[in-house]
Amino acid sequence: MDFAWSDQQRELLNAVGRFASQQLNYDVIENDREGIFNHEAWKKCGDFGIQGLLVPTDYGGLGTDPLTTVAALERLGYACRDNGLLFSINAHMWTAIIPLVYNGSEAQKKKYLPGLCNGTLIGGNAMSEPNSGSDAFSLTTTAIKKGSRYILNGSKIFVTNGPIADLLVVFATVDKTRGTDGISAFLVEKNSPGMNVARKLEKMGLRTSPMAEVFFENCEVPEENLLGKEGGGAFLFTRSMTWERGCILASAVGSMQRLLETCIRYANERKQGGQSIGKYQLVASKIVDMKVRVESSRHMLYYYGWLSGHRKSVYLEAAMTKLHIADCWVKCSEDAIQIHGGYGYMTEYEVERELRDAIASKLYSGTSEIQRNIVASMLGL
Amino acid sequence: MKILVPFKSVPDPNDATFAGEAASASKSVINPFDEIAIEEALRIRERGEATEIVGVTIGAPSVDEQIRAALAMGVDRAIRIDDARALDPYAVARILRAVVEKEAPHVVIMGKQAVDDDSNQVGQILAGLLGWPQATFVSSIEFLDNKTRARCTRETDAGLEVVELDLPAIITTDLRLNEPRYVSLPGLIRARRKPIEVLTCDQVGVNVRPLTTVLAVARPPKRPAGTRVESVEELITKLKQEAKVL
Amino acid sequence: MAESLVLIEHDRQQVKRSSLHAITLAQQLGGEYELLVIGHVVNKISSSLVSLGATSVIVADDPALAEPLADRYATVIVEAVRKSGAKNILGTSSTFSKDILPRAAALLDAPMVTDVVAIEQMDGSISYRRPINAGSMFAKVKVEGERRVLTVRAAAFETPAANAAPCPIVRFDVDAESLPNGMRFISREERKSDRPDLTEARVVVSGGRPLKDKETFERLVGGLADALGGAIGATRAAVDAGMAPNDYQIGQTGKVVAPELYIALGISGAIQHLAGIKDSRIIVAINKDPDAPICQTATYFLVGDLYQIVPQLIESIRRA
Repeated sequence: MDFAWSDQQRELLNAVGRFASQQLNYDVIENDREGIFNHEAWKKCGDFGIQGLLVPTDYGGLGTDPLTTVAALERLGYACRDNGLLFSINAHMWTAIIPLVYNGSEAQKKKYLPGLCNGTLIGGNAMSEPNSGSDAFSLTTTAIKKGSRYILNGSKIFVTNGPIADLLVVFATVDKTRGTDGISAFLVEKNSPGMNVARKLEKMGLRTSPMAEVFFENCEVPEENLLGKEGGGAFLFTRSMTWERGCILASAVGSMQRLLETCIRYANERKQGGQSIGKYQLVASKIVDMKVRVESSRHMLYYYGWLSGHRKSVYLEAAMTKLHIADCWVKCSEDAIQIHGGYGYMTEYEVERELRDAIASKLYSGTSEIQRNIVASMLGL
Repeated sequence: MKILVPFKSVPDPNDATFAGEAASASKSVINPFDEIAIEEALRIRERGEATEIVGVTIGAPSVDEQIRAALAMGVDRAIRIDDARALDPYAVARILRAVVEKEAPHVVIMGKQAVDDDSNQVGQILAGLLGWPQATFVSSIEFLDNKTRARCTRETDAGLEVVELDLPAIITTDLRLNEPRYVSLPGLIRARRKPIEVLTCDQVGVNVRPLTTVLAVARPPKRPAGTRVESVEELITKLKQEAKVL
Repeated sequence: MAESLVLIEHDRQQVKRSSLHAITLAQQLGGEYELLVIGHVVNKISSSLVSLGATSVIVADDPALAEPLADRYATVIVEAVRKSGAKNILGTSSTFSKDILPRAAALLDAPMVTDVVAIEQMDGSISYRRPINAGSMFAKVKVEGERRVLTVRAAAFETPAANAAPCPIVRFDVDAESLPNGMRFISREERKSDRPDLTEARVVVSGGRPLKDKETFERLVGGLADALGGAIGATRAAVDAGMAPNDYQIGQTGKVVAPELYIALGISGAIQHLAGIKDSRIIVAINKDPDAPICQTATYFLVGDLYQIVPQLIESIRRA
């Protein structure tokens, strides 16, 4: 088993790290406080090539393999402190780009992928509803065919990138009586008549990533915007969700590495009782635990990335990866605050924000409880 | 118009490494002033005034990473003169002269100094050897008269100076000429297909030896740690009585 | 036959005093030395140089040399070297000498050592000490060859005494027709200032990015400099932000200063800036960050708000 990066991979990862540390870390504290999305940084990422990782070169992407992709996202998370920006990028990649890559018609791919890859188009998806979160497939938004159009009616909540998206993949049912087999996916462009992106939702963390409720009132969507087949929505969603689970916390591994280094530095410099606090076992022990969490998360991530390129089904591994990394990230963030003492609580030190950002990781892409259910069922229990 | 950009691989002055990496992580970069030169060449090409940008560097295979970075920024092709010796500006300029004679560029744009050696000589020596006009410490470049002349603003000790050069000429860059673009991933991937020509000094017809020998390198003595003062009054008192400088 | 030839810099009105420091190196190297002045209508300048212990002041005066174009000046220097037989061609580091001397070195097929801060005589040969890596290290080097070109860091060599018996001024015939003409001088933009020259001032007050804008920079940094009769400097960040012109920049790629007193306002102390101030006798840092790197290098540092402290400081100095 060769754990080494190739020269080409190393070159790519170093380029990502250099780009992110020099170009993306400004105004993070204020943007987090005010809930402002950094459009300029998004555009820089698009020009640099982040959003296009994984997408075949025919459609404007870089065609990188999954392992290199997750390693690049890890490096991005290490070098860029704006977790919200990265969350928006991830939502865009896994919920809009992936479904198009796998289920889009040639015309749909050519129309949307190039812009999604270079960041000129922002994408997202609309799945959750006020009454269906974990139980996603019990959604009630309808899409009734009328001539050459589908008419959508319903409301979606927790739409990441909602306020800024040019394109949303909206899940609705064409026939409630068919249950899961009625769920279909639609490409809905912003400002479609009958589509109302309502108030921005204010969050505990990931505040630089905008989120909104979206209402569909007799929203007309042309039939060529059906993504995949009628009734194929649940399968499409599950596949995109599997990618999301495996990859969305790649940058979290990078964030944890950064937190670890910050804590080591602080523990060595901060002196209390005549010695650096790192010499106290209770502090050292927390940092050791952080280190072990970073390493185990990294290995699960890389294994998932490698497997993704070598095997068709990674459903189990994706769920385990997400479950584990989310847990580690929240614990590392909490430990980081504790190690920094009072300073860890101050927004100026940018440690408390990590915890606020991390907590959501146990909720999105399927709560940690859902991930556990998945693993249990895959184990035959 | 063909632009030749000589560049040097130097230790990273800002040294930011990813701690998760093994110790073999690269700590070299393109000399920042040369990066500015590459960027300027790219902008000149984007304005439609240049058709080819050729990079050249001197060194062992370990500098290939910087060559690929230059290609990733947008340089069309690169030459590495395979020479692992410790060279001085005297030798570097004479090797570059041979490359200039081979490539016949219309203009050579390079950094004013390498941030490890800080000699600030190579561009000027090269100009002297070739008998070409030179403009050093340049903060803006404009081509005139169907690209037969270049008008350059130079940063000097007293302010700014504008000079005009007949081409071909040598231009060395100063900090404020531009802000270099970062290497993009598409650029990096395209760079993998761009040619790197490796040549020895013999192959370009130069046989030169450095005339400078470094006998020793040492850190200067550290200034003793300073004293913190708590008020303007205290500062003035100390400057008067202790330092005797007021 | 002189051992050394020293290129003297002037601004068409008077000699640039820091360029005289290279004479001290000539004295240390031993033997006779001559001074070289190039320009047009430089009688007053040349006359002011006769008591510096040189065997002669060589003057190349011609309309074609009115502006310091490197191709012409290098050609003239080479001719002067051939006539004088000098083995060492010296100058003080400046944008003028850095532009021209390497080109002259090329024409003379000689090696050049930049920014010499000291020499050491070692059994028959000489080694030169010079800064590298933004002055964080110093290299001791020796060079081979019949001749060599050397520039000195002004701050590292004393001003030479000016009490020698006057020497002759030798005019040098310039064949203007044979001078290169691939370069033309178009214009220059220099602000004349009542303040002392940055590289010669006893006191330098510098400002960094926190000084907000040009007006604030002039008010606080300029105000304090004036109260102390000093010169103004700036960090690269301040120049990039348009708060100060480029000729105020101090650092690895700007000017290197070594005043008696250097006051750094709102400067964190990046290594590239420290490279330009390390040899100052007393460094004072005023900053709101007690952990700024400059506090390790400063002789005294005061932590607090610039906008409160500097006006107070100006007031106290005026009263004293």
